[in-house]
Amino acid sequence: MHTSEGSIFYRKIILAAVLFLFWIVLTSTLVPVNIVLGAICSAFTASVSAAILGRVLDPQITLGVILRLPIFAVRLGWEIVKANYDVAKIIINPKLPIDPRITEYRTYLPGDLPKTVFANSITLTPGTVTLKIEDDKLYVHCLAAHHEEGLHEGKLERMVAYLFGVRKDA
Amino acid sequence: MMARDIIAGILCAVGTFFFILGTTGLLRLPDVFSRLHPSTKCDTLGGCSVLIGLMVHSGFSFDTLKLLLIVAFLLVSSATCGHAIGRSAFVKGIPIWKKGLEREE
Amino acid sequence: MHNYLLAVAIIIALNAFICLYRAVRGPTIQDRVLGVNIVGTKTLITIVLITYIFSEVHFLDIAMVYALLNFVVTVAVSRYLETEGWREAG
Repeated sequence: MHTSEGSIFYRKIILAAVLFLFWIVLTSTLVPVNIVLGAICSAFTASVSAAILGRVLDPQITLGVILRLPIFAVRLGWEIVKANYDVAKIIINPKLPIDPRITEYRTYLPGDLPKTVFANSITLTPGTVTLKIEDDKLYVHCLAAHHEEGLHEGKLERMVAYLFGVRKDA
Repeated sequence: MMARDIIAGILCAVGTFFFILGTTGLLRLPDVFSRLHPSTKCDTLGGCSVLIGLMVHSGFSFDTLKLLLIVAFLLVSSATCGHAIGRSAFVKGIPIWKKGLEREE
Repeated sequence: MHNYLLAVAIIIALNAFICLYRAVRGPTIQDRVLGVNIVGTKTLITIVLITYIFSEVHFLDIAMVYALLNFVVTVAVSRYLETEGWREAG
């Protein structure tokens, strides 16, 4: 990602908008004083944060990612419901049919943020918990054999790649 | 008004059911790694379900947005907590439970 | 609806109490941290329910702070257990 002057300004605007929304939610009033104060504070924070933190926002966060987030959230929500049904069946079964194993998974997603989102999505979906990430290798704990197969199908990875607009190559 | 209460009641009941399930899993499963599964999944869905039920119950206001914020935070934090605990157990080399290899609970 | 929410809150609180078993008994330290984390999540939900039972809207802010604290405590303690000290982990 190149960081030209224009893109830094663009990301400052996004950051200021997010901060302003957060301010509105926290104050939970629409009094003019609060709105003006919030606008000033969020603009000031966004303009200063680059100097203090060394960067404005993660360069992976663009307007497209924010727009695609609701679609991703709905699909992830469906996966979470399926995951819970699956775990519920295992826990209620009196025989406790588990066969735990630790498997390794290589991902092609670049950057810290997509990897973090991917690891959290793995944790929330059927029978798998991410234990450790080393560069592009993920150690995943699976509860049973069919969970491991489900992980290696790579459906989740495609979802995260769609969210960040990453294409699989090489 | 009535339909809204019924939907909220159903969502709260589902959430409570998943909380009970998570507790059962936490008590029944044999080792740390397996216990991470019910704790991360059932608690997330249970909590989100109850919170969404309350959103439906209260109708739209600024409090709904606050609840939405808590739901989003719960989705992120629950998975990250599971990841942190699992990582510390994995790095410390706690052996994973295998079938037929009975250890003290 | 009021009594129904009260019942839900009581059941979740009882659940949290049962989860303390894992925090007290758990064979490894990680089990205890997990138990405390789950008790924290259930307490958070109970606080949100209490908001609506007693119509005290300000409790929502407390719930948000509680969620943040629960998260920070769990991550910090796991990190501490992982490194056996406060130095930077790779």
